[in-house]
Amino acid sequence: MKDRLSEIVREIKETFREALSEIGEFRGQTYIIVSQKGILKELIKFLKERGFNHLQTLTAVDYLNFGKKPRFEVIYQLYNINERIALRLRVEVSEEDPSIESITDLFPGANFLEREVFDLFGITFKGHPNLKRILLPDNWKGHPLRKDYPLEPEEKPEDFIKLKEWKKRLEEYGIK
Amino acid sequence: MAAGAARNDLDRFGIIFRASPRQADCMIVAGTLTYKMAPILRRVYDQMSHPRWVVAMGSCACSGGVFRTYSTVQGVDEIVPVDIYVPGCPPRPEALIEGLLELRRKIREERRTWGPYARKEINL
Repeated sequence: MKDRLSEIVREIKETFREALSEIGEFRGQTYIIVSQKGILKELIKFLKERGFNHLQTLTAVDYLNFGKKPRFEVIYQLYNINERIALRLRVEVSEEDPSIESITDLFPGANFLEREVFDLFGITFKGHPNLKRILLPDNWKGHPLRKDYPLEPEEKPEDFIKLKEWKKRLEEYGIK
Repeated sequence: MAAGAARNDLDRFGIIFRASPRQADCMIVAGTLTYKMAPILRRVYDQMSHPRWVVAMGSCACSGGVFRTYSTVQGVDEIVPVDIYVPGCPPRPEALIEGLLELRRKIREERRTWGPYARKEINL
C-alpha cells in the first residue's frame, strides 16, 4: 500500500518535476504542492489512469493571514478505492488570477464542489458547465470565506431590505 | 416536536398543527433564519389569514443566537412582527407550552388589532 503510493509519487516527481514545489507527509497523509496550476488537469488524468478513481473532496484555503504567496490553495483529495491509498493535491492559485481548470469531465462529482468553491472563495473554474452560486443567493455580493470578508457586512441583501420596509409600512398602517 | 407528541401533548390546550399556513392562526419559527430563507418566511407569514400571531422559538429565531455571521438574520422580528419570544437552545417543551399559553393570555387581552378597526385612524 505504502510502497505503491511512493511508487506513484516517484512517477509524478519524474513526469511533472518543474510544476511541483513540495512533496511531503503530514500525519501519514501524503500531499503534493503544485505551483504551476496549468498542469493540474494533466496530473489528475495521470493519477486517474493509475487507479485514483475517487475524488473525496475538493476545497480551497485562503492563506491571507499567513502572508503566504500565492494567496489561495485549491485542494483535491484523491483516493484509490481498490488499493486504498489517498493522495492530496494542493494547487496554488494567485490572488491576481483566481482561476483554475475545471475537472468536471474527469470527475463529474466535482461539479457541485467547484461551484461551492466559486461561491465562497471566488475562484473561477474554466470549462465548468454551470458555474454559478450554489449556497448563497444569486444576487449576493462578495465571497464570504475569503479572510478579508467582514464578519457581518454593513450592506444587507436587497430583497431583505425590501422585506424590512414592507414590515415597517404595514406597522405604520396599523396591521400586523 | 416533543411538545406536540404524547407526553406533553399540545392538543389538550386546543392547539392543533395545520398542514397549511392558510388554515393557521399562529406561526412558530423554530430555528435559524438565513437571508436566503427570509423572503420565503415572509411569504408563509403573508399567506396566513388575519388574525395571525408569531412565536419565535429558540435563541436563533429570537436574536440570531450564536450565529453573528454574514448569512444569519439577527432575529426574525426584523421581518415579521413577533408576539412571543421563547428563549432556549433549544427550549424545553414546557417552555414552548408556556409561551403558547402566554400568547393565549395576550390574545385574550387584545382589542381591535385586526379587521376594519385595526387601522390607527379609526382606533377608538
